[in-house]
Amino acid sequence: MFKVGDRVEVKTKTETFTGVVMPAPEEEKDLLILKLSSGYNVPIKLTKEISAIKIGEEKFEGLPTYRPPFKDLPFISIITTGGTITSRVDYKTGAVAPLKSADELLLTVPELHDIVNIKRIHQPFSLLSEDMSSVEWKKIAELVEQELKDDEISGVIVTHGTDILHYTAAALSFMLKNLSKPVAIVGGQRSSDRGSFDGAQNLICAAHYCKSEIAEVAIVMHATESDDYCFATRGTKVRKMHTSRRDAFRPINELPFAKIWPSGKMEIINKNFCPRRDHHAETVLDTRFESKIALLRYFPGADPEIFENLVEKGYRGIVIEATGLGHVAVNPLQKKNSWLPAIKAAVEKGILVCFAPQTIYGRLDPFVYANARLLLNAGVIFLEDMLPETAYVKLGIVLGRTKDIAQAKKLMLENISGEINKRIEPEAFLY
Amino acid sequence: MEYQKLGLKSGLEIHQHLDSHKLFCSCPSEIRQDKPNIMVRRELRPLVGETGKIDPAALFEKKKRKFYIYEAYSDTTCLVELDEEPPHPVNQDALSAALLIAKMLHCEILDVAQVMRKTVVDGSDPSGFQRTMLIGMNGYIDTSFGKVGITNVILEEDAGRRIEEDKDSVTFRLDRMGIPEIEIGTAPDIKTPEQGKELAEKIGMLLRSTGKVRRGIGTIRQDVNVSITGGTRVEIKLVQELEQIPKLIEKEAERQLEIIRAGKKVPPEVRNALPDGSTKFLRPMPGAARMYPETDIPLVKIDKERLARMKIPESFEDKEKKFIKLGLSEDLAKQIVHDVRFSFIESLFSKFKNVKPSVIASAIFSIESEVKRKTGKEVKFTNEQYDEVLNLLDKGKIAKEALLDVFVDLSKGERLDDITKKFAKLSDTELKKEIEKLKAQFKDIPKEKLQGVIMGKLRGKADPKKIIELLK
Repeated sequence: MFKVGDRVEVKTKTETFTGVVMPAPEEEKDLLILKLSSGYNVPIKLTKEISAIKIGEEKFEGLPTYRPPFKDLPFISIITTGGTITSRVDYKTGAVAPLKSADELLLTVPELHDIVNIKRIHQPFSLLSEDMSSVEWKKIAELVEQELKDDEISGVIVTHGTDILHYTAAALSFMLKNLSKPVAIVGGQRSSDRGSFDGAQNLICAAHYCKSEIAEVAIVMHATESDDYCFATRGTKVRKMHTSRRDAFRPINELPFAKIWPSGKMEIINKNFCPRRDHHAETVLDTRFESKIALLRYFPGADPEIFENLVEKGYRGIVIEATGLGHVAVNPLQKKNSWLPAIKAAVEKGILVCFAPQTIYGRLDPFVYANARLLLNAGVIFLEDMLPETAYVKLGIVLGRTKDIAQAKKLMLENISGEINKRIEPEAFLY
Repeated sequence: MEYQKLGLKSGLEIHQHLDSHKLFCSCPSEIRQDKPNIMVRRELRPLVGETGKIDPAALFEKKKRKFYIYEAYSDTTCLVELDEEPPHPVNQDALSAALLIAKMLHCEILDVAQVMRKTVVDGSDPSGFQRTMLIGMNGYIDTSFGKVGITNVILEEDAGRRIEEDKDSVTFRLDRMGIPEIEIGTAPDIKTPEQGKELAEKIGMLLRSTGKVRRGIGTIRQDVNVSITGGTRVEIKLVQELEQIPKLIEKEAERQLEIIRAGKKVPPEVRNALPDGSTKFLRPMPGAARMYPETDIPLVKIDKERLARMKIPESFEDKEKKFIKLGLSEDLAKQIVHDVRFSFIESLFSKFKNVKPSVIASAIFSIESEVKRKTGKEVKFTNEQYDEVLNLLDKGKIAKEALLDVFVDLSKGERLDDITKKFAKLSDTELKKEIEKLKAQFKDIPKEKLQGVIMGKLRGKADPKKIIELLK
């Protein structure tokens, strides 16, 4: 009946008031929400006793444009994919809309203009993290590669929702081999409409990362609860470890490459990275991905039929988050709960069965307990210190690249993008 | 000054802490003086407002370019205050209290309330905004100068407590962050400085009569809005004492008059109240539309049936009358309704039916000074101690006359169990036996002195009237 921006006068039995119509939340579409001159919104259930008439219209001015003067700085490009970091709230209506141009991004984080020139902003789609899959990873990888081909570009920033940020980071790490320039992936745990927007520091530090010598895919996010510095952490060795804190993204089993301060100061902590190279020619884009794979978590008393169902449905590979050093039930009192026969049968069928640590930290070891040796002999691939999420992504990549089981098994255990760390430093735990 | 000629208009904005845990998390509403064990450093970014312009207030703060240090305690603050976890659903106790107050102020109460984010740029909220919800509008309160309009009743979270400031940073402590508070905005119906004080007092009494508000320093705060003809609305913050209000209104009217006489314009601004009644510039008046919805909290449906069932508590005037009927003097009755421990004392009246309210009230108001007179030591008894001792009196385990001695012993740190044994009230047969024994013991003492000696020996263990009766 009314549209957003209409100035409306409402008369109830006792009161008359006017306000401007605001968008109602999705689940409350039957309410008329009026913003009063005090700034408060009043949601009103329209009933017969209430009359409402339009008395005018409010003009919502568009955003101002901000075109900063050209500075002699390195160029970067940004790929925005959705999520809180590149959404902005229309303060007047409360509606959230994605950023559309470099100008808008600079309005939110004007400091970027003192660090880099933004050459292009791509927005292939705008999705919340959890709505993405390998289809989107491919698209992002293609755009990154296209940008990196441009000799003027010194690095690329991908902005992303945080929930599956680490899956995307792993996917880009595997899909873009032999990188010659830095690729930073950033998100925000607080939205950009707040004064406490954490994504600003993440973007600023990511811009510094793009100018660095580290030619790796890295997640660049807050290192602490404070707004002091970010970690740039290898895309295959990082995980969202908290639902809401700014410093949710922690390095796992490896130290981050660097600490980066918004001022541009950078402290290298882990020198195990490929250095920046002049020519892009060597970078290989391979986005093939087998999506008929699964990530499964073992739990006490888990019935192996959970696993067998996947085998029956034709899944080509399964990562099991195993307990401790790499275990699932092998010798339980209830014989039917042993996973060993089911795993043996799956391996014989040519299915890749991998174990990754459900402890998140540490390395699997199949030789400490006899049960694990039985599983190893049955053909389970023990993925050392690989994160379960990284293992899942890698399995899709490997099976996308080869149908040969022996070859696939070999690739799973081969360190392709830093996903396996043969030397875990003591400080890497809970870093 | 002739305020009518000046066109003086003034309204109040009263902020009162509600007596409940925090509004959007489960942390206790506890202000602390001990050293915090958590320290976080943050920055706040100025935001581009809805018209593309940065809020003038925000811009002003930006120039200072300070960073903020937030202090917190692991046991009484959590990730919510630190802006590290989304807000939990609205505290229902606080909401009920706010609805009751809105009802007592005759407000139109909304069917649905929406929590808003009010942009705050001084750093006092780690999120960069204050969560606030309008729940009632267009009410009134009766005063000696007529009905005063109540524009808004708002339930909101308090901000962090400013601890210190240097040239680079401002430090806030998050113990206060998130404490539920009610904000009552009145219409500019105040026409003289004295009316301002009366209105603040009236609203304060109404709030306290609910028994659902916090008491003590820093739990209530008045902002005063003042304008005169040709001037402009100026907001004065941080008024703690009611006595200050008339002077602040008076001085602000004078200040505006001087500016107007000098041919200048009065700038709309927020000023801080100083102890001498003058004010100091704090910041420009913030723009009007600084609010947008809190998307982390669904709309709050207000249960109108529950609201209708809510009983309006007795007013303090009625309570005073009731206390006088219970046999209290007018002074004592007044003293009780103005005391911080008001609800506690009132609860004791109904709890201890065998003890006269006047005994309870005078115990609570005088025992500390009586103990001091006897022992020379400054003492403070807790509500629990009063409750325990009065309970013994109510059960007949100690005599009224023993009260002072019991409290004296308590002040020496003796255990109540032991004290009770010492002053245990004798049963009638025990008393008879004891008197016979004493009579035999003191058979040489002249009869006229005997009563005094026996009374002294049995002091606190029996009702003196009874002793006299038995001695006859």
